Amino acid sequence: MKIGFSAAQEQFRNEVATWLAEQLSGPYADLRGVSSHTAMVERRRVWEAELGRARLSSVGWPVEWGGRGASLAEQVIFAEEYARAKAPSRLNHLGVELLAPTLLSYGTEAQKTRFLEPIVMGKEIWCQGYSEPNAGSDLANVATRARLESGPNGDEWVIDGQKIWTSLAAFADWIFVLCRTEEGSRGNRGLSYLLVPMHQAGVTVRPIREMTGHAEFNETFFTGARTAAANIVGAPGEGWKVAMATLAFERGVSTLAQQMDFTNEFEALVKAAQANGQATDPLIRQRIAEASIGLSVMRYSALRMLTNAESGALSHEAFTYRLYWGVWRKKLGELAMDVLGPSGEYAHGDSPLAHDLQHMFLFSRSDTIYGGTSQIQRNQIAERALGLPKEPRGN
Amino acid sequence: MDFTFTEEQQMMAGAFRELTDDLCAPAALRAAFEGRGESSAARWQRLTELGLPGMLAPESVGGMGLTLADFILIAEAAGRAALPETLVEHAGIAVPVLSALSADARGAAVLQAAVSGEARVAVSHPFNPFIVGADQATHVLVLTDHEVHLLSKDEAKLEGHQSIDALRSLARCTGSLQPGTCIARGAGASAATALAFECGALLTAAECAGLCDALVALAVSYAAERSQFGKKIGAYQAIKHQLANVQVKLEFARPVLYAAATQATVLSGRSRFGVSHAKLAATDAADLAGRTAVQVHGAMGYSWEVDVHFYLKRALGLTGMWGDRSFHMRRVQQQLFSEHLAIGPDALFGVFKELP
Repeated sequence: MKIGFSAAQEQFRNEVATWLAEQLSGPYADLRGVSSHTAMVERRRVWEAELGRARLSSVGWPVEWGGRGASLAEQVIFAEEYARAKAPSRLNHLGVELLAPTLLSYGTEAQKTRFLEPIVMGKEIWCQGYSEPNAGSDLANVATRARLESGPNGDEWVIDGQKIWTSLAAFADWIFVLCRTEEGSRGNRGLSYLLVPMHQAGVTVRPIREMTGHAEFNETFFTGARTAAANIVGAPGEGWKVAMATLAFERGVSTLAQQMDFTNEFEALVKAAQANGQATDPLIRQRIAEASIGLSVMRYSALRMLTNAESGALSHEAFTYRLYWGVWRKKLGELAMDVLGPSGEYAHGDSPLAHDLQHMFLFSRSDTIYGGTSQIQRNQIAERALGLPKEPRGN
Repeated sequence: MDFTFTEEQQMMAGAFRELTDDLCAPAALRAAFEGRGESSAARWQRLTELGLPGMLAPESVGGMGLTLADFILIAEAAGRAALPETLVEHAGIAVPVLSALSADARGAAVLQAAVSGEARVAVSHPFNPFIVGADQATHVLVLTDHEVHLLSKDEAKLEGHQSIDALRSLARCTGSLQPGTCIARGAGASAATALAFECGALLTAAECAGLCDALVALAVSYAAERSQFGKKIGAYQAIKHQLANVQVKLEFARPVLYAAATQATVLSGRSRFGVSHAKLAATDAADLAGRTAVQVHGAMGYSWEVDVHFYLKRALGLTGMWGDRSFHMRRVQQQLFSEHLAIGPDALFGVFKELP
């Protein structure tokens, strides 16, 4: 056992850190620290292209598709340095981190050729069409349906239904959609995974306002929306398998590297506590110490998962990690509000630091919900990792 | 010993709850936030029709001559309703303080108007960085350790701030305190400021208990209506146990709160212990309720469209006011280790013996 990274990996870290520092103090200084998913969209498109030219958009992809064929450890190093440099949140993270790995595993050569280059160069931004009003935790309950029709443009899928919580839908160019293609099918059978262009009359987007006051999510309505028959990943009816593979990627590298973002938030919280004197309060000090211990736990767990999983996909440990960080960050948000004290009630905070902490508190209310609630995570740990019997269901 | 509320107390609270069910229905709160619907003045009028502003003032000035124990259910219901009007600050803090200082002519005149509801008095206290509800107030009662001032709204020169809670307005007093506005000095002033603190901490605790109640009700009704995996989500233990845990916290906060209400104005070590315990227990319950209600609603709970966040944000504001968690925990510790407070079985039951 050896804790830490190899010399070659550290060299890669230096290369990435230097490049990011140059870009974010030079031509892209305006993007430094932009964490909102909805701000400065046009500039962030340009930034995506810059990353693509440097082969840093997706270091883990094979070299032939614009990546560097980097190991899992190197991918984590990149993501860590990216967060450390306070580089802007990735406009195309759903394309880069979710769709592209799915295409690399399940896509046809033609699909890889058509879709990967525009992702790596930031030319096409993607969003994810999974959740529906009645398919949240019970994702297999999707009701959006698609049927094949012949038309003037050849065979096309025609899609009707509604997706919800589609982040980035307001500016995405494409959406990957889980929908029902076998009439009368139920549950996870009869589903397909379609790639659908957003810019068409059959697709309408309505923003959803969140408790933060921002609208980062949307509802996406399909009314006779169309896409070419070839734009299906996997065979018709295999959509569930493909969709689950995508979710496994969601639990991959990017969540492991988010500790760097957490460290930035933790540091801001400690600064605020020192500035307003709360750092001398024994109760606050204890909770800050606990938060710091949590960060170390996540760090070591991530490194362990990495070394166990160098060969490829992550194991069931990833489920425990997802549960841990969601709960940890939610508590960090609560601690932040206690550190701010009564002045935490000011809308937008009474300083930029207070604003960030308050936003973190409100946003972190969703950390134990999105991507699978803590309740679903616990069921998965119990049922998939421990092999306990499945919870009785009504359908 | 008797932990039940009298018929009068229950009737009063019941009438108020009925009124707030109407005034503060979620649609009405949303309308208030968007500047539509009934005005604050109109809602205040409805509250004065029940005589609520003067509940704690002596009958000699037109009040009801009641005590905090009579008002505690009103404060709880105000929290449950997320009432936008600062009835609790006005009737539960400003009016008792003005009643105690009624020897001053200026104070007495405003008290009279405050009892009828003509005047609306907001409270500035050294423990809070801001004044709540000042935009609707006619006067500001400024409490300090050495002097108490009563300012007209113009004299206070208020600087308004938005709250994270869209239904509450915050303000800071920027006017300097002139001798002409002083209504108490020295020991009288510091006693009034101390009394205001105990009332404030106790009544925000009651509001938090009410918020907890409202959050549980929202989450329970959603869990009974939303289906996933072919069942109502409330049928899953992962959901129902969370809600049961909140209810346990609430039911353990309530008796503490009610006991503290009977002694809060005594201003003894024991009464302070009780008020701090009540504030800790009730804010903990509201905090867990907010967290749980969001979780039970899933992603909808994080949206603006579902009402959970209104209550969650109100609880957040109240938790920080009138002494935060650390302050009240420290006060409990100080009482425990002070030589004035006996501990052990006799002393524990002695707390109850003191109850009227």
